Amino acid sequence: MSGLDYFEVECTEEGSDNYNKIATTVLQDHNLLGIVEGLHIYINPAYPLFVATGFIRQTRSVIRVSDVGNVLIQDGKATISVGDETYLAAMLKMFWQKFGHDNVDQPDRFTVIIKNVDIPKDLREWVVIDPSESLFKDLIYAIQVIAPEGFKVRRENYGKNRFSFAASENTLPAEDIEKIIADRFAKMEETLR
Amino acid sequence: MMLVPITYKGGVYRLDEIIDYIEDLGGYIVQRHNIASEVVLQVLMPKEDIKRLITFSRPLAGEVTESPLVGTEIVVVIPSLEIHHLPHSACDVAEYLRSNGSKSNILGMARGFGKRIAQLNDEERDLINEHDLAIYVLGNFASCIETKFPKLRRGITVPIILTGAPDRDVLEKQTDPPVAGYVGGLGRFMHRTQTEADIHRLDLVIEEVEKVVAARRQEIANDPLSVSPARLQAIIKQEIPEIEEVYSPAPIAVQLNGLRLKLSYPEYAQKVRDLVIEDEVKVGDVADVLPSRMRDYILIRIRPLSETNIVV
Repeated sequence: MSGLDYFEVECTEEGSDNYNKIATTVLQDHNLLGIVEGLHIYINPAYPLFVATGFIRQTRSVIRVSDVGNVLIQDGKATISVGDETYLAAMLKMFWQKFGHDNVDQPDRFTVIIKNVDIPKDLREWVVIDPSESLFKDLIYAIQVIAPEGFKVRRENYGKNRFSFAASENTLPAEDIEKIIADRFAKMEETLR
Repeated sequence: MMLVPITYKGGVYRLDEIIDYIEDLGGYIVQRHNIASEVVLQVLMPKEDIKRLITFSRPLAGEVTESPLVGTEIVVVIPSLEIHHLPHSACDVAEYLRSNGSKSNILGMARGFGKRIAQLNDEERDLINEHDLAIYVLGNFASCIETKFPKLRRGITVPIILTGAPDRDVLEKQTDPPVAGYVGGLGRFMHRTQTEADIHRLDLVIEEVEKVVAARRQEIANDPLSVSPARLQAIIKQEIPEIEEVYSPAPIAVQLNGLRLKLSYPEYAQKVRDLVIEDEVKVGDVADVLPSRMRDYILIRIRPLSETNIVV
């Protein structure tokens, strides 16, 4: 798969090609191809068991107010002319919380005005969204989509720059899964580093 | 008189003449779709008159094609409709059936997912049995399909076409007792069917469906129905004007041996039974008017000649 340094679908039965395609489509649709460095999927339809392990790249930088639009502080007013609407909603929400609804005005789609309050000098530097916060959530969600339907017993782990996900319709055999995950991580590390 | 399913595609200009002509020839318009300035008519008409219609519609640039799926209601059965598993390949299968003239429904089971935990409840079973044919769209692994399919087919009396990712031979080999048709190489995928290879797989589904429908039609022809479903549809349309106010895509869905009438059963069932088809023959004499498991709709099952000794 393009964008990933390591990608493998391991399956105890015929059918890994399909999961290859499914994983590619899902990661692409969720805009995660650039973030995942390596992904190993293990499927055992006999138990049935689905295990995914992966590494992620360095996370994206945070989105600040100055990334959303130009900030002009003048006459005790701050005027933000919005350039990128993607994070506008999140920014407005933050302003409402900090300054109150009455003091934040949006006269048109691309202008936000803050008035009647002391404008902090570092307004431009305020963090609107930290993508790494929701990254693992997005990632686990995407893996859930890749996993077969009906695998309601789940176990997910993430930390530092790696994540693992195991799912089944039966109780998960904890020890076996630990071993599968550790083995796959070792294999990936060997290839990647 | 043998009625043959065809599709007519043409413009709006002088369409009324086409419709009149079809009706004069003894044909019935089963469904009508208006797509922008184009109209698609799904028609059941006498075989020997198709040539006449082709000649008649030539100056209007109308297009007449045989489409064996017209006048069938087919259900596409999938283990679940979970939102994070869409776009489901079943959507494409259903859409493809529709564009080939069939009325298709998708049935997502409440608890059909999983391998060990898959189950089919009585409502789902009855709903599937109300259709002419069921297409099961299952997943990627042969062993999974082998375990769960027997549970999902329990009590199903209509012909089944089983589809999945494993090869056709594999599906055929592991299914016991055999079902009416198999299509391999489909299974679960997350993209829309756009490539030629994908569409070819859908064509295989249609091919299989046509085969099963043809066999079913032949079976019915051996013991003909007391009244043609298309004729019954025309009578209901004429006699029960309330059907015009039903906004379902197909207020009267025509099936191979009956109709699904999207009107309330408690209110309209007796009215339908009392409709006069011809002389003294009423609908109630030649058909069973039953409550459908779909909402409170009416399901009409036409009885064959051998049971009623009447053909109208």
